[in-house]
Amino acid sequence: MKNNIKNIGLLACLFLVAASGCKKDWLTPNPLSIYSPENTFVDKAGFTSGLAACAKNIREEYFGDGAPLITESTFSDIAVEGTDDKSGPAQNMDMQIKPDAQLNNPDFNRIGWYWDQEWIGIRLANTIISRIPKATAVSDADKNILLGQAYFFRAFDYYRLTNQFGDVPCPLSEISSAKVDFATVKRDVILTRMKQDLEFAVQYVPWLTDKGAVNRGACYHLLAKINLALGLFDDAITASSAVINNGTFKIVTGRFGVDASIATKNVTWDLHRPDNKALAANTEVLFLVTDRAGSAGSFLYGTTGTQGTRIMRQAVPGISIASNIITPSGKVGISASGGLEIDIMNLYGRGIGRCRSTPYEYKDIWDDTKDLRHDSTSGNYMFMENVRYYSPALKTAGDTAYGLRMRLYAGTKLLCVDTLRSWYPWPHYKLYVPDLDNNPMQGGHSDWYVFRLAETYLLRAEAYIWKKDFASATADINVVRTRAKASAYTTSQVTSIDAVLDERARELYWEEARKTELTRIAYIFAKTGQAAPNGKTYNLASFSTNNYFYDRLMDKNIFYKTNFVTLHNDMFKISQYHVLWPIPQAAILGNSGGRINQNIGYSGAELNAPALDKIPVE
Amino acid sequence: MKQTKKIAKTSMLRCFTMLSFFTILATGSLEAFAGVAKTSAALMMAPITVTGKVTDSRNAPIEGVTVAVKGAKTTVITDAKGAFTINVSDNGTLVFTSVGFLTKEVAVKNTKLINVALTEQVSSLTDVVVVGYGTQSKKDLTGAVTQIKATQLENENPRSVGDMLRGNAPGLDVGFDASTKGSNASLQVRGKGTLTASSSPLIVLDGVIYPGALEDINPNDIATIDILKDASSAAVFGARSANGVILISTKKGKGGKPIITFNDNIGYNKLANKPHLLDGNEMLEFRGEAIWSMMGYDSTSKAGIKYKFTNPSKLPASFSQADWLALDGATGDATLVWLNRLRLKPIEIANYQAKKMLDWEKIIYNDNALQHDHTISIAQRKDDYNYYFSMGYLSNEGLTVGDTYKTFRTRLNLESTASKYLTIGVNFQFANRDESSVPLSMSDVTRTTPWGSMYADDGVTLRVSPNDDNGNNTNPFMEQFYTDRRYQYNNLFGTVYLKGKLPFGFSYQANFSPRYDFLTEFNHQSALNPTIAAKKGIVDRRNQTVYSWQSDNILRWNQKYNKHTVEATFLFNAEKYQSWNTKSHAENFAPNDNLSYHSVQSGTAGVVVSSDDQVSTGDALMGRLNYNYDQRYFFTATTRRDGYSAFGQQNPRATFPSVALAWAINEEKFMKSTEKWLDYLKIRASYGENGNREIGRYAALSNLSSGSYVFVTSGGVMYNGSTVQAANLSNPNLKWERNASFNYGFDYSILKGKISGSVDMYDRVTKDLLVNRSLPSVVGFSSILVNLGEVENKGTEITINTVNIEKKNFTWKTTFGIWWNKNTINHLYGATPDYDATGKLIGNSEKDDLTNNWYIGKDINAIYNYKIAGVWQISEAATAKTYGYKPGDFKLEDTNKDGVYTIADKQFLGSTSPKYSFNIRNDFRVFKNFDISFTLYAKIGQLSSFSEATNSQLNGGVVFYDRSNFYKIPYWTPTNPINDYAGILSNVGGPVSWNVYRLSSFVRLSNMSVAYNLPQEIARKHKIEAAKFYINVVNANVFTNWIYFDPENKNGTSGGAPTPYTINFGLNLTL
Repeated sequence: MKNNIKNIGLLACLFLVAASGCKKDWLTPNPLSIYSPENTFVDKAGFTSGLAACAKNIREEYFGDGAPLITESTFSDIAVEGTDDKSGPAQNMDMQIKPDAQLNNPDFNRIGWYWDQEWIGIRLANTIISRIPKATAVSDADKNILLGQAYFFRAFDYYRLTNQFGDVPCPLSEISSAKVDFATVKRDVILTRMKQDLEFAVQYVPWLTDKGAVNRGACYHLLAKINLALGLFDDAITASSAVINNGTFKIVTGRFGVDASIATKNVTWDLHRPDNKALAANTEVLFLVTDRAGSAGSFLYGTTGTQGTRIMRQAVPGISIASNIITPSGKVGISASGGLEIDIMNLYGRGIGRCRSTPYEYKDIWDDTKDLRHDSTSGNYMFMENVRYYSPALKTAGDTAYGLRMRLYAGTKLLCVDTLRSWYPWPHYKLYVPDLDNNPMQGGHSDWYVFRLAETYLLRAEAYIWKKDFASATADINVVRTRAKASAYTTSQVTSIDAVLDERARELYWEEARKTELTRIAYIFAKTGQAAPNGKTYNLASFSTNNYFYDRLMDKNIFYKTNFVTLHNDMFKISQYHVLWPIPQAAILGNSGGRINQNIGYSGAELNAPALDKIPVE
Repeated sequence: MKQTKKIAKTSMLRCFTMLSFFTILATGSLEAFAGVAKTSAALMMAPITVTGKVTDSRNAPIEGVTVAVKGAKTTVITDAKGAFTINVSDNGTLVFTSVGFLTKEVAVKNTKLINVALTEQVSSLTDVVVVGYGTQSKKDLTGAVTQIKATQLENENPRSVGDMLRGNAPGLDVGFDASTKGSNASLQVRGKGTLTASSSPLIVLDGVIYPGALEDINPNDIATIDILKDASSAAVFGARSANGVILISTKKGKGGKPIITFNDNIGYNKLANKPHLLDGNEMLEFRGEAIWSMMGYDSTSKAGIKYKFTNPSKLPASFSQADWLALDGATGDATLVWLNRLRLKPIEIANYQAKKMLDWEKIIYNDNALQHDHTISIAQRKDDYNYYFSMGYLSNEGLTVGDTYKTFRTRLNLESTASKYLTIGVNFQFANRDESSVPLSMSDVTRTTPWGSMYADDGVTLRVSPNDDNGNNTNPFMEQFYTDRRYQYNNLFGTVYLKGKLPFGFSYQANFSPRYDFLTEFNHQSALNPTIAAKKGIVDRRNQTVYSWQSDNILRWNQKYNKHTVEATFLFNAEKYQSWNTKSHAENFAPNDNLSYHSVQSGTAGVVVSSDDQVSTGDALMGRLNYNYDQRYFFTATTRRDGYSAFGQQNPRATFPSVALAWAINEEKFMKSTEKWLDYLKIRASYGENGNREIGRYAALSNLSSGSYVFVTSGGVMYNGSTVQAANLSNPNLKWERNASFNYGFDYSILKGKISGSVDMYDRVTKDLLVNRSLPSVVGFSSILVNLGEVENKGTEITINTVNIEKKNFTWKTTFGIWWNKNTINHLYGATPDYDATGKLIGNSEKDDLTNNWYIGKDINAIYNYKIAGVWQISEAATAKTYGYKPGDFKLEDTNKDGVYTIADKQFLGSTSPKYSFNIRNDFRVFKNFDISFTLYAKIGQLSSFSEATNSQLNGGVVFYDRSNFYKIPYWTPTNPINDYAGILSNVGGPVSWNVYRLSSFVRLSNMSVAYNLPQEIARKHKIEAAKFYINVVNANVFTNWIYFDPENKNGTSGGAPTPYTINFGLNLTL
């Protein structure tokens, strides 16, 4: 009996253990280490963090292996995909750029990446835009600033989407359910709405904010682009002038920053030093993205230790690849090792020539030897003939070419079997980003310009050109040229859009999204019916079969023009309809309750429904 | 307990003593082959006292055997040592009966010592089966349950629970894990019933839901494994049982005196099913073909151009070396020209000329990788207590150099009858797992070539890239050499329980089961590693602690009235999971990184500290009623109501009912006529609902992931700002995935157990699937977790056990199982509108999810892709070009013949799920002392991805054969115009995305074993109860048409290990 009492006692204890859990809130989820929108987007700090995520989202375009900006460049006049030892890289666009092809892979192309990432950007901005009005803890003044900055990010992505893909859907608020009934909205309708948003933003966003955040200059700059895209040239002039005339931002003309004391260097070099981009002395920057080595927020920090810009790997020619470069005696002149006596790999990086410049970019546009942006004596611009044969095996083999400058020919003998990939000049002043993570270097961490005042001048110059005010256009272009010590143009040299596009190619290599801008310009030609430099006129109805984008590529990009065939036996080819990229098939199929239109020229476009004239209200 | 301690020490010596013991016995005992002592028999007719011992076929004593005198009422029961004493007339006959054994009669013939070995009954109808919160005799079962007895597998040295299950349980598909740990094999009962949630069955260890890792359970400690396959059996586990339930029961004490068992084995893991990695000369030939392919197989531009990459010493007589050199205007040494044409690096040329070739297969593989496994246990059963205690140590070397896995596991099962009405006990296990070894970088092995050098010019430092192709490859040993890693788990799992008897047939049980997992994962990459020299050392440290507990309160009621038997079970369960995870990362160590990972605070850059803590809670109420009438009509009904915090916002709880019926027909009077041949026939039918809750703990919430981003003030000061962004869409309405399934089956036994088995058919429909539904990317999220759709699994399982031959010196038994499952997606997201070309609504239909590759009416694992119709041949060059391909590329089928490849050309090619699977197990006993067995299992009809057939991809990634090496598989050339393999560097892109699939059906001889049981008489002389020696071969062979690594493990190149076959030598000794 005693035992029984004990037993009952024990039983009771165990029951208590079991029952202690049965509180009312026993099954309420309790997230310990994660934030939720409900407890974060309530005050200024929360929204500021949300905006920081938007900025970080923009950064992705310029960074990493197979950076998306390569695809923007290879769908243009300035570059092609130079990878010629495997199938996959986007070279024959006719065969490879299809709605169901691989559209998001560093080894192929990043069209699908743009599509996905821009919608993520829009979603991030929409979350903020939808929640700001409900945030009672934020003052009205702050609300307007935060809202303006969020509008900037949303407009940034819609500007890109409409010039990459044309007509697209247009959600404007936070989506919190499984929405699958999107419809395509006309490009101009979307851009008009973005114009309104930015006109709000430029009233409230401060002229000066921390570098990395959105300021009023950036909002005006984007507004100028959108006005151009809409064919509203006067509005574009107004917007760009607002930035130029304000005084907060000035073109940098003097030496500054980390290398200022090195007499052989110059302002162009200074402007693109990783350490100089966010300096207070750099008065030219409107908006940049940040990436600092060793910082927790650096690009893909700590996953593999090999990230950062990787820009040297992407855009520098393959001066280490296989036996591509031989000495006149026939020995391999190169090596892939870093830390050699002549340390080419840790000076220029282990380039793979993925983003291969066209002769248009590295030769045709350069019309003044004084131009610092193409100057090799100061080390700004590099020609293959500036690189020395550096393979230590040459030394042991007694090849006298060791340490001598590389040559393309010995007599008639070609010394580089793969000139596509391993032999072309490059702007060292832009691509040189010291890399602590990789030996050989591939391009380390660095801030990167998104918008700077030099481009604002070129946007205004473009607007003047559309308005045939060539004198004003010349003046604006000259601001950019003379800073680089190139001679000023006379008005007679600025007669068409070519002047602006060439100057952009000189000034904004690996900064501008070239395809976006070319398509935007192609739209303007089609919209205005103005005659292009080639004498042709265009219209919107036949945009996908006859446009300035294609004609310019055929004119300037020799690889597409001549259907150049690579060593891997792949042909460079592009067509009229590539002026707009294909909408990835998955997006159309996933939208089972409605129709997202496919661009003409791609399979599935025959099922298109008319694009909407109004943005649907959600 | 003193003895226990002593044994503990012994085992801590890492079993070296046991090893020596093994050697002594292996040599010494062979002499002991002697004849069995004969007993002289004289005929007398008087009562005598007979003593003796009853053992099983393996000489283990059997307790509780009824020994009866035939024709008399005298009976005695054997004691814990199997001993008995009985009075009987000298010409009488003794009858030995025991549950689970065939009854045996022995004539006394005036013998005073009668030792009897009973044969295990083949028919398992009397087996006790664990059914969840209780046990049942198999005869009383209403559901589909498969039992595996560990004793059957003793000679096979199973290294993991997966090994025990593989090929032994129809309806259970066990995956393959070739790693040294070997325990992460996937388990799937009766097909895949879910799209997004986990499809792994629930593991229950000694009656308690087991949240730990399977590798923490020592297979040597396992007594039985029961698999609950149908819904009604599994329904007692309600919301967690949708994928079936595997109940593992560990050993308990038996025998009156302490029984000490040593089980030691040593094995060699050897390479099996691995394609040959090209050696130096094969690689040069391959390289020549690769570069020729890059030149478009040019054979027309110049005479003899096709020989441009041929070894100049192997040119055909018709083509001179001078002409060969002239092909590109080369001069000088022809071999040198050739090597340069093959794009060899200077180091490769130098090594070729010096005839220094790296044999990578020898360098990276460890072809006699040692595996040893030692377990010692001590067990005892007395009237008021019983215990089982074991310690085991396993060390396993992998097939690649430096890959080792070690684990120490110990278990204590202790039960004490504190009073007549109260039993208390504890089941406790501890495991230490050491997974610190750093694997070789296998992907770097194929990226380099045999003509590199392992070491730098100083002859001692590892060369950064063996063939100086930095950036393309790194020395495969680099990470292993320069990394200092501690990766250890220390896991505790235990149950303390109390069982009490209450009046009126009630009994009560309470369990409390805590679990602690401690993980330390420390990693230091040395500053000496030249590839990261600039970082001056990198340290990562992670600590994770998991504490979870469960509490079960079970009330049972048993009553028997005449022929009515009623058993009722009620459960109240609560559980909580908590984990705390801290990570830190630092770089750039100052003054140096000599303190390895012990001084993370010395890092001066890149410091990141992060934490992730999680908690979840659950509870359950369950009731079960078992009723049978006269062991003829059986009825079971259960209902369980579960709660789980992941669904806590709107649908925290759900109820899962089930019901089952069974009818033992052979007990009926009208079956009298079949009695002679039909021992047993029971028909079963059940219906039940089960749930699946295996999604993330916070999957229903919108998770804002946070990070940081640098800003710079106008004063130039840099600071880290925070970023937040939603990582997923929230879904407050998320609820349980729900199965509803029918099971019909019968169990049979014919000809006194000579043939027995069961047949089951099931139809399982899963609704409210937890699905990561694809969204159009316009939403900004690629998917949302919702409850949608319906998946159906229908299948059949047949088991046949036969006793083929049963002679005195030879028995042969076979177990055969065959099963097939048909999986269908019935619904996904519901009907949506259809529009015609003008945008007009023309109706509604349900759409496939092409992003996730889910198709309505098809298997979840269906392959919908472009069909490879062959390889484009030279003669088809023009047509190939119109499609964007060239000769040597795979030719896709243009099903609608419109001249372009679009998604309209995709077709259903098959499924990655097998069409059917079977297993066959044969057991032989020869001369009483030899046990021989072999097990085969097969999966037939499934497809596997084989992108390597493009000769352009390795593990799904594009490779550079003008720089790297490859495995020997066939390739297309203009002179070898095959259709099943593409040319080297064939085009894997093109206008559409596609992949290559091949049938990977196979039959695997998964185990062969031979065991010798030392005759008891000899064992006794050496003061041993029983001794057994065994040899077995795991994965002895696989029969298949698949050629690239193993049909079940084709990732031998991506860092995973190739499949081993293992030869084991073992000793099992009972003292």
